[in-house]
Amino acid sequence: MLISFYLIALVLVLSAFAVVLLPNAIHSALCLIVNLLGVAAMFALLEAHFLATMQVIVYAGAIMVLVVFVLMLLNMKREALGLRQYTLFAFSFLVGSLFLAFIAASSSIQWGDALQYAAGSVGTIERVGRMLFTRYVFAFEAASLLIMAAVVGAVMLSRTKKSQHLSGGAS
Amino acid sequence: MIPVSHFVILATVLFIIGVSGFLFRRNVIVVFMSVELMLNAVNILFIAFARMHENLVGEMAVFFVMAVAAAEAAVGLAIIIAFFRTRMSVDTDDAAAMHG
Repeated sequence: MLISFYLIALVLVLSAFAVVLLPNAIHSALCLIVNLLGVAAMFALLEAHFLATMQVIVYAGAIMVLVVFVLMLLNMKREALGLRQYTLFAFSFLVGSLFLAFIAASSSIQWGDALQYAAGSVGTIERVGRMLFTRYVFAFEAASLLIMAAVVGAVMLSRTKKSQHLSGGAS
Repeated sequence: MIPVSHFVILATVLFIIGVSGFLFRRNVIVVFMSVELMLNAVNILFIAFARMHENLVGEMAVFFVMAVAAAEAAVGLAIIIAFFRTRMSVDTDDAAAMHG
């Protein structure tokens, strides 16, 4: 259990660094897919089976297809990453680590305690679905409304001038 | 048995990498991907604490974060395409029209 955690954590951290540091955006996107699959593996390790599945389908599937599609649509050049950029990255990483140390020093988490595993699994599809359609049913419907609005907004934003002209002439 | 603190440290490291990428990259799409990194770091933390407390509310939060992230990806990428059309570039430095 602990060994698989460390393996997945290693993959996650390395691929996250690769996403941020590789100069070619398409390489970053491919490393982000690895990262998202690693997060799904982490969910599975925590017995959130439903969310692990959703992570693979929604994130590593749908969202990354969108991102890679846009990357291929826009033909962009390599970003010039010089010493200055890497210094900036190292500096911001250092400041963030200090922030982490500050949180660790001031939080009340007991750093030694292990996860307590109950007999029944927590995140099965049955339990998640039951909760989603009872206590969170309004939030669920609101989420569907939000995605609907996002789809309409995306179409509106990415319309070209030509189709605007055409629809203006038709009305 | 994995201590919860391991998950806290891992999620914080991933979050810091995401913040750093958000701050220092100039390519809009890489900035967008850094935001996804941060969202996923927080999701890991939500699930870990949901597992620790044997409580499904954390998993519900992750579910809705995913829904909002999907909506955000659709709108964000449409904005990136519109930006590229007007400026012929995906560099954040070119989005400086508000500076006058």
